[in-house]
Amino acid sequence: MSSFGETPTGSDSSTAERDSETLLEVEGLKKHFTTGSGLLSGLRVDPGSFPPVRREHERVRAVDDVSFSIARGETLGLVGESGCGKSTLGRTVLRLLEPTAGTIRFDGEDLASLGGEALRRKRAEMGMIFQDPHASLNPRMTVGTIVEEPMVAHGMLDGEGREARAKSLLEDVGLEAHHYHRYPHEFSGGQRQRVNLARALSVDPDFVVCDEPVSALDVSVQAQVLNTMARLQAEFGLTYLFIAHDLSVIRHIADRVAVMYLGTVVELAEKEELFENPQHPYTQALLESIPVPDPRESGTRGVLEGEVPSPVDPPSGCRFRTRCPVLIAPEGYGFGDAEWEATRGFVRAVKRRTFEPAPAAEVRERFFPEGVPDGEAGELVETALSLVSAAELEGLEEDARTARWHEASELLLESFAEESICARERPHYEVDPVYGDGEHLAACHRHR
Amino acid sequence: MTDPLLRVENLTTQFFTEAGTVRAVDSISFEVHEGEIVGLVGESGAGKSVASMSLLRLVESPGEIVAGEITYKGRTIFGLEETADGSLSERPEMLSEEEMRREIRGNEIAVIFQDPMESLNPVFTVGGQLREFIELNRGLSKRVAREEAIRMLREVGIPDPEGRYEEYPHQFSGGMRQRVLIAMALACEPSLIIADEPTTALDVTVEGQILDLVDDLQEKYGTSFIWVTHDLGVVAEICDRVNVMYLGEIVEQAPVDDLFYETAHPYTEALLESMPRPDLTVEEIQSIRGVMPSAIAPPSGCRFHPRCRYAREACKRVHPDPRRVATSADGETHRAACLRHDVFESGYEASAPLEHATALSDREVERPPGGEGGE
Ligand SMILES: Nc1ncnc2c1ncn2[C@@H]1O[C@H](COP(=O)(O)OP(=O)(O)OP(=O)(O)O)[C@@H](O)[C@H]1O
Ligand code: SF4
Ligand code: SF4
Ligand SMILES: [Mg+2]
Repeated sequence: MSSFGETPTGSDSSTAERDSETLLEVEGLKKHFTTGSGLLSGLRVDPGSFPPVRREHERVRAVDDVSFSIARGETLGLVGESGCGKSTLGRTVLRLLEPTAGTIRFDGEDLASLGGEALRRKRAEMGMIFQDPHASLNPRMTVGTIVEEPMVAHGMLDGEGREARAKSLLEDVGLEAHHYHRYPHEFSGGQRQRVNLARALSVDPDFVVCDEPVSALDVSVQAQVLNTMARLQAEFGLTYLFIAHDLSVIRHIADRVAVMYLGTVVELAEKEELFENPQHPYTQALLESIPVPDPRESGTRGVLEGEVPSPVDPPSGCRFRTRCPVLIAPEGYGFGDAEWEATRGFVRAVKRRTFEPAPAAEVRERFFPEGVPDGEAGELVETALSLVSAAELEGLEEDARTARWHEASELLLESFAEESICARERPHYEVDPVYGDGEHLAACHRHR
Repeated sequence: MTDPLLRVENLTTQFFTEAGTVRAVDSISFEVHEGEIVGLVGESGAGKSVASMSLLRLVESPGEIVAGEITYKGRTIFGLEETADGSLSERPEMLSEEEMRREIRGNEIAVIFQDPMESLNPVFTVGGQLREFIELNRGLSKRVAREEAIRMLREVGIPDPEGRYEEYPHQFSGGMRQRVLIAMALACEPSLIIADEPTTALDVTVEGQILDLVDDLQEKYGTSFIWVTHDLGVVAEICDRVNVMYLGEIVEQAPVDDLFYETAHPYTEALLESMPRPDLTVEEIQSIRGVMPSAIAPPSGCRFHPRCRYAREACKRVHPDPRRVATSADGETHRAACLRHDVFESGYEASAPLEHATALSDREVERPPGGEGGE
């Protein structure tokens, strides 16, 4: 699992001891952003921009109560979709962003409590590589200056020593010493990412946060950079927090994997366990939606419906519940499995207004071919059905129609979705691993 | 086989820049038949986008289609002929710019781009733009066009289409914008849609939703697609036939199953090996040596030779064109532009391996900047 360059062929127990030596420990970490611009009020989530939402005095819960640890020499893969908080987490761990709450222990020391000089010194042990190899290198600096910059900032070596080190680092990352005098624009994307690597390694860090380091690269070049990163890890005994949205890349490089959704870690396990035995519905959906490069496997892909909600007002309980295909039935109505499945589908369809107004009987037949549930649940469904039936909406203005849909949707959500345990408690469970014996966490009430 | 919907022959598009002539698309030929999804795959700079834009004659200066023939439903989108004095001029039956605009673009062939913001106007509502597009192109009244716009938005999976009709593009997420573009592309029920990396910027679950939507819509409307992508996973998922591009040329052309299982070009093979897999743990991925050289001065002979692990002396001399190397089970042609195939009779077997080819593939060596493209 861990990849020291010089791992001795010692006894099992000594290997285990080494593996479990924790380098980074993050507990209850939160990073919230407060945004102040009222001009743009009313904007919706835009996961493509950062911060993803702007409204007056809103709290964007970018990272909300995240805990994990990384062993020395290990690569923890952090995967999730855009806007889920991966980069914010990476930056907060390095204290490039001030945490809102929580502790970050690095090599036994609490980073959150360090300040000034002590923090600066600690930071020398950590490096960072960013996504865009074009944007992150200053075009007016030579490669040499770029690589030496962190050494200068940390008062490392003298001029001659730095140059010698920079040149040898360039060779380590697969470039050549004479590139020292070149400028970034003379390099391809893959080569620039290597310059970034050399720069991150210049102060001899133990720990490197890699934020989507290969996402902007073509596959063939991506493979080159990934292989180099793996080799350097073995050579220098590096520990990586490797952030990516691409599960294939994570599967290739990580030892353990944490899956993030809307500011929280929903699942964490050893790589093989996570990919072969995923236990969180979101992880499962994520894995199922990747197009596999094998035409004989096509058509087996699953589809996750809906969109990621706003991190300003995230769903209570389990954050994934608004899209979860297996949301747990609320108690008290005595739902059978099939009844609940039909009801869940109907609730979401009304909320998303995915069907056109039709006679109540038609809508009933479409969503409840086996008939609506008995008792109270059935009455609620009937009320909603009639609210959005063609007969009710006929002749109304668009605003009034929208109000009806809203009313029906609120009724259903309050009566059913919000009553589920998934909405009422934040899940956190440990499950038994099938592959390996590492800890497997799954934040899903199905494991209660 | 029936006549293809679209036939492209020896299409050549170049950019005349100060640095030299960029041979962005160099004599490519392919066909699209009714109801199929044809992939155009390759890495950045392979010429996929320029090829797509050429099909609609949307290449802008300093770019120009300099040769080739594009025929759509029997009509000539592009075609040259030799005049009496030996120079080339456009053929009389070639569609005029006016005809392209009125009858082809949008109506017959629609495009979906990677960045939907390029196609949506930020100052008008999404619904308004779609309605106007339908009104203009289909001659419907404003009221009917509005209903049609809402129906289309619902059809492409926009939640609450009545409500979101009034919203602006920036209020939509990337995936939702892409759905709007699909609605717009479909609005005139074109026979062919060119989709240039429409899911590349999207998250994988959103990409999955869009691929599914395209599958459904294709079944319903029977639309043909040219799907431009660099992602072989997407290719495997939705394409019927595939063209692999490298440095302006098509190097392999095959039905999708054959491309993956009977791979006939070393570049395709290398691409497949360099991909990490979502479904398997691969400890060592094979990288491709070097980077794609510039399209201004492509390497001699086979353009892939400086990076090819099978390269021999012959590969530096002889330029292979895509030739039939096999016929698939259902009678389709499999073409590859590689001298290792017997049809080329190039003396490949007898020639000596190039130096790098013997040492290749396990060491990742990048060429120094400026040193690209042959010695
Ligand atoms: N306006 C232009 N002027 C000069 N050269 C251009 C222009 N547009 C494209 N090219 C060149 O044409 C070649 C093909 O580019 P094209 O955009 O078609 O590649 P692509 O396969 O679509 O790449 P990507 O995957 O990055 O989208 C490249 O060498 C590119 O630099
Ligand atoms: S806790 Fe409930 S909503 Fe969340 S993933 Fe599990 S079943 Fe789905
Ligand atoms: S022609 Fe030669 S260099 Fe080109 S792909 Fe075939 S073997 Fe490789
Ligand atoms: Mg392109």
